[in-house]
Amino acid sequence: MRNARVIRDMKARDGVLKNEISRRAYLYVARNTTLPPQIRHQAQLQLNTFGKYTRPTTVKNRCSETGRGRGIISEFALCRYQFRLRALAGELNGVHKACCKYLIIALHIHGSR
Amino acid sequence: MNALGSKLKALTRLRCEIFQTSYNPQNLRTGAKYLRKHLRGPAMVKYYPEVISLSSIAREFPKMGIVDPVEVQRLADVEDKKRRGKGTPKKAKTKADSRRTAKRR
Repeated sequence: MRNARVIRDMKARDGVLKNEISRRAYLYVARNTTLPPQIRHQAQLQLNTFGKYTRPTTVKNRCSETGRGRGIISEFALCRYQFRLRALAGELNGVHKACCKYLIIALHIHGSR
Repeated sequence: MNALGSKLKALTRLRCEIFQTSYNPQNLRTGAKYLRKHLRGPAMVKYYPEVISLSSIAREFPKMGIVDPVEVQRLADVEDKKRRGKGTPKKAKTKADSRRTAKRR
């Protein structure tokens, strides 16, 4: 079940994907100082007509499990608590809890070689 | 010095030709950076892992006749609420009918 905020974010991501190339083209014209000002202004006006969900800055990484917007570990698309739960359950490959015991064993093995 | 400068310029131009970048010795704002940047959209779309639910399968393959029990329950609940007179209110035909204006008075 997906959170409304996550759905909104997915919509934004989709919009960015669909409009990125045309937006870039207008950006190129609008920011190009070698072009006549009138054309640049036209391009800027066109840029302003794009919707809210076409700008990359609207996209925010949210937790894919809970939809939380803060404390996200982006590599796993999870918030810190869900990350902890998953990691402790052993569902995240290559992630395990830090422990002094393992460190001592590792040092011991390293020393004996 | 001048000869060296012109040689360096020629070198830069050649480098631009080889690596297909725009030659811009005066550092003008040509907007080339907006074309040079990688597109972000394809990676952005992949952020959320795909969730396969029964309802999504039913929507994708309507001929298979899959019934989503959650959706069935929801529709039954809506019907039940309607029967008890607790359904959604009717859409206001005029502005005066709207509940929002009624509340304000």
